[in-house]
Amino acid sequence: MYEYIVEMRNITKRFPGIVANDNITIQIKKGEIYAILGENGAGKSTLMSILFGMYEPDEGEIWIRGEKVKILSPNHAAKLNIGMVHQHFKLVSNYTVTENIILGVEPIKKLFGIIPYVDIKGANEKVAELSKKYGLKVDPTQKIEDMDVSLQQRVEILKMLYREAEILIFDEPTALLTPQETDYLLKIIEELRNGGKTIILISHKLEEIKRVADRCAILRKGKLIDVLDVKTASTKTMANLMVGREVSLEIEKKPAKFGDVVLEVENLSVRNQDNVEVVKNVSFKIHSGEIFAIAGVAGNGQVELADAIAGLTEISNGTIKLNGEDISHYTVRERTIKGISYIPEDRQTYGLILDFTLAENLALKDYYKEPFCQKGKLNKDVINEYGRKLIEKYDIRSSLGVNTKVRQMSGGNQQKAIVAREIELDSPLMIFVQPTRGLDVGAIENIQKMIVEERDKGKAILLVSLELDEIMNIADTIAIIYNGEILKVAPKEELTVEEVGEYMMGVTA
Amino acid sequence: MLDTIIIDGLSFALPLFIMAIGGIYCERSGITNLAIEGLQGFGAFFGALWIVIISSFFNIPINKLFYLALLLSMVGGMLFSIIHALLCIKFKANQVISGVVINILSTALTTFLTTQINSLVFGELSDKFQIGTSVRFSVPLLSEIPVLGAIFKNLYPFEIVIIVIAIIAAYVLNKTRFGLRLRACGDNPHSVDAAGVDVYKVQFKAVLVSGALSGLGGISFAYSISTNFSPAIYMGYGYLAIAALIFGNWNILPTFGACLLFGFARSGGYALAQILKMPSTFSDLIMILPYVVTLLLLIFFSKTNRAPRALGEIYDKGKR
Amino acid sequence: MSEKTINKKKENTFIRIILKLVGNEKWQHITIPILLILLSFIAASIIILILGKNPLMAIYNLFQGAGIFPKPSYAAHKSMLTDFLSLLNYMTPMIFASLAVAIALKGGLFNIGVSGQMLLAGFIATITIGYSNLNWGLAKPLVLIVGMVAGGILGGLIGFLKYKFNINEVVSSIMFNYIVEYVLSFFIHSYYIDPVSRQSRYISDASRLTLVNVELFGLKMDISIGFIIAIILAVVLKRFFDKSRVGFEIKAVGANPKGAKYAGINVGKTIILTMTLSGVFAGLAGVTYYLGYFASIQPKTLASVGFDGVAVALLGNTNPYGIIASSFLISIIDRGSNYMNSMAGVRKEIASVITGMILLFSACNAYIQHKIRMKKDKLEHVAGKEHEE
Repeated sequence: MYEYIVEMRNITKRFPGIVANDNITIQIKKGEIYAILGENGAGKSTLMSILFGMYEPDEGEIWIRGEKVKILSPNHAAKLNIGMVHQHFKLVSNYTVTENIILGVEPIKKLFGIIPYVDIKGANEKVAELSKKYGLKVDPTQKIEDMDVSLQQRVEILKMLYREAEILIFDEPTALLTPQETDYLLKIIEELRNGGKTIILISHKLEEIKRVADRCAILRKGKLIDVLDVKTASTKTMANLMVGREVSLEIEKKPAKFGDVVLEVENLSVRNQDNVEVVKNVSFKIHSGEIFAIAGVAGNGQVELADAIAGLTEISNGTIKLNGEDISHYTVRERTIKGISYIPEDRQTYGLILDFTLAENLALKDYYKEPFCQKGKLNKDVINEYGRKLIEKYDIRSSLGVNTKVRQMSGGNQQKAIVAREIELDSPLMIFVQPTRGLDVGAIENIQKMIVEERDKGKAILLVSLELDEIMNIADTIAIIYNGEILKVAPKEELTVEEVGEYMMGVTA
Repeated sequence: MLDTIIIDGLSFALPLFIMAIGGIYCERSGITNLAIEGLQGFGAFFGALWIVIISSFFNIPINKLFYLALLLSMVGGMLFSIIHALLCIKFKANQVISGVVINILSTALTTFLTTQINSLVFGELSDKFQIGTSVRFSVPLLSEIPVLGAIFKNLYPFEIVIIVIAIIAAYVLNKTRFGLRLRACGDNPHSVDAAGVDVYKVQFKAVLVSGALSGLGGISFAYSISTNFSPAIYMGYGYLAIAALIFGNWNILPTFGACLLFGFARSGGYALAQILKMPSTFSDLIMILPYVVTLLLLIFFSKTNRAPRALGEIYDKGKR
Repeated sequence: MSEKTINKKKENTFIRIILKLVGNEKWQHITIPILLILLSFIAASIIILILGKNPLMAIYNLFQGAGIFPKPSYAAHKSMLTDFLSLLNYMTPMIFASLAVAIALKGGLFNIGVSGQMLLAGFIATITIGYSNLNWGLAKPLVLIVGMVAGGILGGLIGFLKYKFNINEVVSSIMFNYIVEYVLSFFIHSYYIDPVSRQSRYISDASRLTLVNVELFGLKMDISIGFIIAIILAVVLKRFFDKSRVGFEIKAVGANPKGAKYAGINVGKTIILTMTLSGVFAGLAGVTYYLGYFASIQPKTLASVGFDGVAVALLGNTNPYGIIASSFLISIIDRGSNYMNSMAGVRKEIASVITGMILLFSACNAYIQHKIRMKKDKLEHVAGKEHEE
């Protein structure tokens, strides 16, 4: 009998320019819930991707159930009964639940004994059975694109169970869930463990780890720092080990002092490409000196709302007023000039032009104005000088300074560049969508501090975030969006996390 | 008159259709395919070349090598499509550029080789391969039906071959395991990879299929439009096939409808010119009908098209 | 050292030499194209060898035909100089066509319809100015202007269709190629045909952009005015993309249309502008081709220059100076192939095969750069380890 069901010994994995895993050894017992804690970029996902067969380690060994193995592919991992629910779901949007689950292990039947075809009917039945057995309710014939995030996650879990996984890896599973859905998921994880499965939980959320995990390995910058017994360790200890220094998990904020109304949105509706209304009749006001946060599960229209206010999409109905002026049909540039800064959700697609230099990107919203541009000609010296100024002020790291191609910069520094540019615009209205996604704790702290600073300077801030913790931390006013509608607007003090969670799920009573 | 429109329309629509199906296979696996024009040309060249050589060296009348020509054209198209597959999958080139490169290369290569081989092997100064006329037959009984019977009249054998292959292709794409995985690659290759299937292999096979089917379309055009292989094989019909599949939203049945539309527009135009007794210079104007119809179709249908989500994406295993 | 290590060291040195030549990223935009051209010539030489001819001789003949190396003898009033000037004459439409493709590429678009735009521009300039009685002071500039307008309108239309209806510009420009080809063939046959040559009637000398058979120094030479204009415009275009605001916006849309929109750039207007500008240059290619290099239009053919322009633009990495150099090379291949045919017996169609292969290798440019970078990283890593040992 083996002592550990999974052992990863001295695992090292290198990518160009970085050592993602540096001589890591972890040992996991059968039937335990083993957490892997670390900041973004600490190496947790890489380590588990190796276990799941998506990468091969440069050095080190893997032992499963007491036997040394080389895991060369996800198929191989599946044969060893290892399954993984990824952070970014790997689902085919226009396929049904069943089609997604059987992809790669399709049951085949033969017409007239010779012509093969995929036995969808039989698979549907099997999926229904499985769904009942584990309490993961899904409709096998529903298409993924018609399902919300928590349902899609159930499909990912069922994928593992269909392949008879015994060792289940969950990569940041609660990132996109409401508090209630998180509860539900953690219960399912505990039940799976009680049914004999071994669970590996990758997370940076200390509360959840405290709730369900038995032991916790802490990674920092590719190295294993320590393995703690979760029952006896405090969240403070875990946080400090994760970051490497003392962390304060709360931001200090002066009490709110609202000024005049800066942004007024009335009866705003937005339709998407398929002419479906994704923002329905939304109205609210934001004052200067106010952080107005919109909470909601991903895909409920918050991004489309932010895009519409910034001018990136057309509105189908309603008005947007900035400092009293109706900007509802202004172009993006007109709105920027009138006073809107926008830090978008997808920083690589919208916020930056990756093939341009850092200087060009920092001047992206100013290049057409004097002194950057004179009589149709760009002044490279002015652009570079401005770039250098921002690099220093905001501590943006890059290999070649202003001439670096932004594509070569790290995600964190790319975000710093975008934030720098938008803050320098000194706009009365600043829109932040998911500003701290994918950043490490230090960078998160910095950006949240900057947002509060701008608010103290009298800016009106619209914050769209999927991290409820972040919203509860820095918001003055909270609005919850569900299915394109704003269900509730209230000062933060009047709402509890549970209430916000309920609104996020559409509970209005 | 109506008969001719239907007969000629079908014989134009079907080769177009089989090329479009090839395009659907390729694009639904995630690889943009603008190379159909070059692939059909090279396929036709390959088929024509070998039957001309075999006919001459083994003294077989070239008419009897019809089915061999069809087969070899598919092989030729498949071989040439390996270039597109390598460029797009292994060398991760821009797929639009790769497609255009294939088209230009095909024109250059086939013209060069045709003239070269004609002079070296046959001692002739010609840029054509004469492949002989094809037989045409009518289905008994069915072809007697008024109006619709024309569908079964004066058929080229390749039309039957195309219909059979089209049915098989539709079945494979929609009902088999291979088709399921292929269509998944065009939506989310990461999910296919995580399921343990080799995305590159699937895409490679999809490109090869499109090469084979394009070659079949090419030789069919050679038989029906000109009875020879020459540089005139590059009439832009490969691009019509692309327009058809865009119009058909990357699904086989609606694409068939688009191809029929092209076919009848063309044959209808010719019939119109005859009825109105226009002088021969006007035949040039009639020739533009398929292209104009393409533009019009694209104008009305490009906005609402739903391309495969990951079409044109260069799938990189390393990125997450 | 074991044999395996020795072989590894040999392989590493070989790779190191190649990397030394092409590794420097600053010079890669020159060194890699040179490498690609060499590869293409090597591939072509293999084909020539298979055909039983001497490839070195054939390639030498190629350069002789183009006026780069001297021929053993010349016809009356002809010399290497006249051959070279003919080369420049041939090269002019190619420079314009390649610039047209390059402009579109910079904007993220693929203008494969240059041939059709050339034809339209050439035709309209022919029937308006070419058949008129204007003297050269008026005719020549007007030819240029008409060409630019005609090409620009067709290019702009393609851009408009892309912006308004999301029509793939490759498909639409090919459609226009054929539509223009057939419609103009109809008009030429109906109204402008020269029954003897089966082409459109010759244009007036005054309107022609190439001065033909000019007698100088006892030689008869063709002087292309268009060539000088092409070089000047190439330089202007380089400055346009490097320094101007509009050039910046075109590049932004080409690099990332969503990011460009976010930056406040009007993407639709920019797309139409890019294609119009591309069409303008295609129009210039057309008039220097049909009212310069040639003096008439052959109906029912599309100039291959329009497609070779794609090869040149890719080889020259969409850089106007690179394009001048690449046009030079490809023109040599095209022009010299006739002489190579008559001297070495190698079919002239091989010119298009060589061009096709250059195009093929150019398409792998990005991959080659990537592979070089990976090899460099690996070697540095290995070198670092060796250092540690």
